[in-house]
Amino acid sequence: MKKAFIFAAILLTLMAPLASSESGQALIENAGRFDGMPVTFRGEVIGVMTRGDFAWVNLLDNEGYAIGIWCPAENAKKISFIGDYSHVGDNVQVAGTFHMACTEHGGDLDIHADNFTIVAQGREVDKSPSLPLAALSIVLAAVAIFITFYLWRIRKEREKILPWPSY
Amino acid sequence: MGLRSFSLRAFLKKNLDFIAGILGEVGLTAAIMAVAFAICVLLVLIKSVV
Amino acid sequence: MIPYLTKEDFKVIGFNLCRIGNVLGFLLLVPIIVAVIYKEFDIVPHFIIASAVTFILCNVGIHFLQTDKKMELKHALCLAAVAWIFCMPLAAIPLWSTGTTGSYLDANFDAMSGFTTTGLSLAQGVDHLPYSINFYRHFLQFVGGIGIIVVSLMILSKSEISSVLAFKGEARDMGIRPNIVRTSRIILGIALTFMVLGAVLFSVVAISEGANVGTSVFDGVNYSMAAFSTGGFAPHSQSILFYHSTLYEIVALVMFLIGSFNFTFHYAVLSGKRREIFKNIEIKTVFITLTLSTLVIAGLLLYFNVYSSASILFRKAFFQAASAHTTTGFGTINSAQIAGLWPSAVLFLMSIIMILGACANSTGGGIKAIRVGIIIKSFFREIKKALSPSSAVVTEKYHHIEDTPLTDTIARGAMLIALGYVILFVFGTTVTVLCGYNASNSMYETGSAVGNVGLSSGITSPAMPAPLKITYIFLMWAGRLEIIAVLVLIGFVILALRKGVRRR
Repeated sequence: MKKAFIFAAILLTLMAPLASSESGQALIENAGRFDGMPVTFRGEVIGVMTRGDFAWVNLLDNEGYAIGIWCPAENAKKISFIGDYSHVGDNVQVAGTFHMACTEHGGDLDIHADNFTIVAQGREVDKSPSLPLAALSIVLAAVAIFITFYLWRIRKEREKILPWPSY
Repeated sequence: MGLRSFSLRAFLKKNLDFIAGILGEVGLTAAIMAVAFAICVLLVLIKSVV
Repeated sequence: MIPYLTKEDFKVIGFNLCRIGNVLGFLLLVPIIVAVIYKEFDIVPHFIIASAVTFILCNVGIHFLQTDKKMELKHALCLAAVAWIFCMPLAAIPLWSTGTTGSYLDANFDAMSGFTTTGLSLAQGVDHLPYSINFYRHFLQFVGGIGIIVVSLMILSKSEISSVLAFKGEARDMGIRPNIVRTSRIILGIALTFMVLGAVLFSVVAISEGANVGTSVFDGVNYSMAAFSTGGFAPHSQSILFYHSTLYEIVALVMFLIGSFNFTFHYAVLSGKRREIFKNIEIKTVFITLTLSTLVIAGLLLYFNVYSSASILFRKAFFQAASAHTTTGFGTINSAQIAGLWPSAVLFLMSIIMILGACANSTGGGIKAIRVGIIIKSFFREIKKALSPSSAVVTEKYHHIEDTPLTDTIARGAMLIALGYVILFVFGTTVTVLCGYNASNSMYETGSAVGNVGLSSGITSPAMPAPLKITYIFLMWAGRLEIIAVLVLIGFVILALRKGVRRR
């Protein structure tokens, strides 16, 4: 019994950082309700801007809603990958105070993070060219060049008999 | 064979007009923003008094 | 008596349409440079395919539609209207084939939004788009802002007559110089100057605000193209909010305010006529309407306790009002927040200022400031007439580069266009409401589409019903062409159906 209790306590402690987080949509659409309250938000890093001792980290959740996180710069330094076309950004979970219109940051909707955890590191994504598509593009390009010059030649010959429209 | 006449004065004037024009337009936008900001300040002042 | 349409009438339009299409074919190759820089070799074939398909179609068309019939005004107006519709599905190819949008219809929506510098978007995963595709979206807006006809004239034009007519067809009433081709080149020169200036400013500010150099420069170029063309596309899903920077927003304000000014005004000021800044009717009208709308919007937001400080009101209320009035579409507030947080009265007011629009002969949309100014002056003239003795002759004039008397014809023309926009607005709002959306969001979204603005209350999304997407494509197109060209095209079609098409 005691062992089970200790095991459960350890498990809960480990899972705490991965506690369920509010979705971006819920936060944004119900901003008034969450204003000033502690929230948890999780998303992929899509932007980092360091400003002195602090940094802005923009997180994009898996529903496509992005929120700016204001956190100490040392947290931003831990980020390895920023999401773009060829990278999946680090997956980060933050816990902090939500602001509907932050007076410190010009009325922006943001979260001031108290807790910043990198849940999963990002990675590079392989984007190798598709050979069939490349072949199709070469064929079409060749056809386009051929048709353009061939028809132009015919019109040039025809011009000798029938002039171009003068407009 | 004659050379095309080049007027340094005209060349400088054209470029100065161009730069002054850009500054003028930026100044116009700054004026618009300044008036807008003044309005925001005035409204907040009025609300604090009322 | 309206003459019969002949096959040659359609050939004139088709021939010139294909010539414009060839220009688009070249423009589709430009993003390949960006793809190579960012090593997106998997994206390069998409642009090559789109360009090749365009060249094949257009060169076959040029070959078979050749005609000796001279272009007339009716052809030019139809050409201007059809050019956008013709270019839209071709420009949509890379957006669809790369999976940027969920369907080909969505790709057409984004292509039309790009060309008309609207900024409403159905693109998915903007933050993970290839750099070349992101650049392409903004490039479409830059080209659209200058005008596809203008770009084509600059590259293609041989003679004056068709140039003048096509230029006028794209709702550009005033030539800067007597030579229309030279006018087109001047427009492009002005646009490139401000685009470069904006790119430098945006990049420098972004770097100073802590973003890395690569992102800053790429974003700087794109935001500059979108800002000057008053387009509103952004390389990030958060739009301007990505940077959380007042300074960045101020640069955006400067660029899109400048982008909303008349090209003729730009030419006059850049040539030394700086007094035009104080005398021009459009500048005065925009100044007054923007100031008044800021006063009311900020006042309402303060009254309803949405925001409480002056700096926040400036960043949110004024920025959004300016973004709407100049028909840009950059947002400093999430669209879902606008619908939930801002009072309906503010949304309604925003819809009105979106329709009022930017200056004529600019990259902006809407009724246009010169017409608003003319309408207001017409009202004053009527009041003066009523208060004057019946024998008095009441005149009014307005200054736009030169002093022009305000005649009944001018006033009637301005009011007709304004009425056309109102009809489009009512039509669009009705269709949106019928699709199940609430009235104030519907008005906001319709105003955004008709005025080519790009601000959204959340209605524009991939989940939008297909009929609504088609409706908004039509509204963006009709709004960009200031309705007249669209009506002439409809007249053309009706004439063809009623009277038939003769051989000669």
